[in-house]
Amino acid sequence: MSISNSVSHDGMRTSMFGAIRKKYFATRTDIIVSSVLAVAVVWLLVNVIDWAFVNAVFGAGKREECLAAEGACWSVIASRWRIVLFGLYPFEEQWRSGVACLIMVIVAVLSCVPYFWNAKRLTVLWLSGFGIFYVLMRGGFLGLTPVFEQNWGGLALTVFIFAAVCILGMPLAIVFALLRRSELPWISRTMGLIIDTIRSLPLLTIMFTFAIVSPFVLPDWAIGDKLYRVIVGYAIFFACYQAEIIRGGIQALPAGQEEAAKALGMGYWHRVGYIVLPQAFRNALPPTINQIVITFKETSLVTIIGFFDVMASGRAASGNAEWSFAHVEVYFFVALIFFVFVFSLSRYGAYLERRLGVGRR
Amino acid sequence: MIAILKNRHVRDTSFQAGFVGALIILIVALVVTGKSNLEAQGLTSGFDFLERSTGWRISFSLIDYTTSSPYWLALVVGLLNSVFLGAISLSFATFIGVAVGVMRTSGNGMAELIGTTFVEIFRNVPLILQLLFWYSLLLSLPSPRDAEPILGAFAFTGRGIYIPGLNITGLSFFLIVLALVAGASVSLWLSTADRFKAASVAVRRKWKFYAWIVTAIVVIATIWWGRLPETAFFSIPEHRGLNYREGIRVSPELFACIIAISIYGAAYIAEIIRSGFNAIPAGQGEAGHALGLSRWQIFTRIRLPLAIRIVMPTLINQYVWLFKATTIGIAISFTDFFMVVSTAINQSGQTLELIAILMGGFLIINYSIAWVLNRVNDAIKLKGTQLRI
Amino acid sequence: MSEHAILIRNMNKYYGSFHVLKNINLEVKRGERIVICGPSGSGKSTLIRCINRLEEHQSGDIEVMGTMLDENVDHIDEIRREAGMVFQNFNLFPHMTILENCTLAPILVRKIDRVEAEKTAMEYLARVKIPEQANKYPGELSGGQQQRVAIARALCMNPELMLFDEPTSALDPEMISEVLDVMVGLAEDGMTMVCVTHEMGFARQVADRVVFMADGQVIEQGEPETFFENPQNDRTKTFLSQVLGH
Repeated sequence: MSISNSVSHDGMRTSMFGAIRKKYFATRTDIIVSSVLAVAVVWLLVNVIDWAFVNAVFGAGKREECLAAEGACWSVIASRWRIVLFGLYPFEEQWRSGVACLIMVIVAVLSCVPYFWNAKRLTVLWLSGFGIFYVLMRGGFLGLTPVFEQNWGGLALTVFIFAAVCILGMPLAIVFALLRRSELPWISRTMGLIIDTIRSLPLLTIMFTFAIVSPFVLPDWAIGDKLYRVIVGYAIFFACYQAEIIRGGIQALPAGQEEAAKALGMGYWHRVGYIVLPQAFRNALPPTINQIVITFKETSLVTIIGFFDVMASGRAASGNAEWSFAHVEVYFFVALIFFVFVFSLSRYGAYLERRLGVGRR
Repeated sequence: MIAILKNRHVRDTSFQAGFVGALIILIVALVVTGKSNLEAQGLTSGFDFLERSTGWRISFSLIDYTTSSPYWLALVVGLLNSVFLGAISLSFATFIGVAVGVMRTSGNGMAELIGTTFVEIFRNVPLILQLLFWYSLLLSLPSPRDAEPILGAFAFTGRGIYIPGLNITGLSFFLIVLALVAGASVSLWLSTADRFKAASVAVRRKWKFYAWIVTAIVVIATIWWGRLPETAFFSIPEHRGLNYREGIRVSPELFACIIAISIYGAAYIAEIIRSGFNAIPAGQGEAGHALGLSRWQIFTRIRLPLAIRIVMPTLINQYVWLFKATTIGIAISFTDFFMVVSTAINQSGQTLELIAILMGGFLIINYSIAWVLNRVNDAIKLKGTQLRI
Repeated sequence: MSEHAILIRNMNKYYGSFHVLKNINLEVKRGERIVICGPSGSGKSTLIRCINRLEEHQSGDIEVMGTMLDENVDHIDEIRREAGMVFQNFNLFPHMTILENCTLAPILVRKIDRVEAEKTAMEYLARVKIPEQANKYPGELSGGQQQRVAIARALCMNPELMLFDEPTSALDPEMISEVLDVMVGLAEDGMTMVCVTHEMGFARQVADRVVFMADGQVIEQGEPETFFENPQNDRTKTFLSQVLGH
């Protein structure tokens, strides 16, 4: 294992061939390892390309060809993509679902622009984006036919749950973090106990408890729809993890900052709102993005509770007698959807980490 | 009067009292509503139901369990299954994760490329999706009728993987693994703990030898005691007619869970290990070079130990999180603790008590994992306050 | 209107069981300039931080501008408004511009309108001789410039009293004088100042009284001439010989 890749013995500029040689074939072990791995990778790639492209069937409705072919049946995607993305949403209104998802994507992208890195603007951005999303999906206003939550499905439902959890969970996380950091020992220790307990529990059990068990312990007026109960449960879980991240950000702040604010006569809420939290969030931005990414992935768990999210709609797409042989292709499609979202967000998080880690005092 | 309200101590105390009081009121309100709702539905509350027999099956069990076993036994079975799955998956995840992490920092371009691809693919797709994918792959293996054994002893079929093994009860197997782990830990502890450094190498070797003797005795005794009656000692899968006889069958559900959690966990552990290696200053390796150590020696004796110490706290969090991921088994009906509890809720209706048991079980296990690993962390962490690393 | 800016009577402070300030008695009249000096660990920073309640004292009285410093939150708020503090590590808010640093507290605490707050801020920035840096961020300024901004920021609250906690100790030598010049200017304008510092030249030039502390007690105090030329206490003599010797 080399300590550094770039030790050049004579300081000459290396040609491209030299660079390749150094990276892949520097020492004898490297040559062996690279060759073996290269062979394995090529074998794997050949098989995958063979299955996915060469012998595959594209285009909608080609079921018979698919059954006959050896390769992948991408036809199932072409025929059934609407179910995967929109679930059981009425056919004529599916454009609303698509536009709503697009709006949330735009909101997420805009959140990455430094112009919006300001509590007021972020709040306005997310709340208005989410509001438009809800109005579009739900209908009943502006002449749109109403479509109730039971019929929301697919990617749109996943996005809805994700956005609702973030919007509900982030303010809750701030409250939890401030309580946890309180100077009053009863409050900080009790909050610490609550946060640690909830973080020790699996997300699935929390969702399950809120979905199925909570109707027992809530008065009738508080029970609400199962979807919203699960969102509340997930938001509390998110808030506990995010609270620890925020607390780390606050702890990285020099003590003098709060002291200077106190010396200027600023009260608690002014101190926290103008000095402590803005700086803490800057410190905690990369882990926060990581947490948001994980939240999006874990939204897929709601399929176990019986919701028709993108996982369940994927299984439904290949679940009928017509296409039941093609479930792997559908899995790939759903995986690709997740991959695109999650990969881009985590790349952005890594970029932010590099950018913020350098030179910021 | 106003002066009292403005007094900081009075304010602080009332805030604290108010906060705790509000929480208590909330909990009491939930409990009271719960009780009244249950009574209204005619369900009993209390933990007596644990003595009742369940009347339903559990597909995978390490200990003896029948449909007439009581509820508490069913819960124990589920708990053991979760711990079993967790132990195996976490171990595999660690091995694979360390290997991939090392690949990514090795300096060999090909290894780094493969490592990066592995991590990016398996980290960016939800676990449940990966689980379903592996499960459907395992189910589409050829049926036992058509599957040919590999190396004469392993068979990959759609009904499970058949491997050769000892004919002992599942519990004995579990205990043997526990004994081996204990033996290895004691041996490691003897070699590295500070309190034994004073003793000479020969003395420590003697003690390690004793430890291994004790372990061997325990293992043999367990095998002897745990033998299934009227069966051969060693069983090898044999293809007979439509099915495989003999051999240990690993069900597709269990196998899929193991694969999915191990690979998903490995992707995260690889990233953690990589960040550990990256956090080691270059000067450490340079000092090793200057002393004339070989690259392999530098890696095993300097970089790897340092990397592990640096990332130990993060790893502990990761293990706890991975163990919680075993609940995903319910998606393919693997009877882990969560699945048993939810079946029990369905069958007995004792929702609140079972949820409390579920949460209590996970809390205990997670705190135990964290506690043990934190002790290990404290033992191995770099000491002193003047460190320049 | 009380004649005294600060009145400390029999004040004691403990960190756990460690008695860090022992029976402190100190009077500062309005318009007086006090310099507190002493070896490290003598409690001088702790004393000045007790005055605006950044640290709490366990027994004795502290009265600032006629307001008693006790558990009443209104009292504490008022004292913090009227006492400005300058820290050793500047403690400027890094995510705000210089101008925003100076206008934040007046707008939020004294509820001054933004336009007027900015006007006042620019005046004080001109007074500390860096008006052109108003729209830069603290990280872009040198140490001396940052400390001068910190002084301006405290002045924007129009305090009656200024507390300085080793304001030049974290500065490179060539920047110390620019900060001391500002402080001298403040003194000449009649501001009441309590200053913990090692800069004896500044003490000689500006102080009405020098207070020497060691081991948590006030050992000796007096006017600069008598203090420096003719210290009474042995400990004072030792300290002065160490500090002035080189």
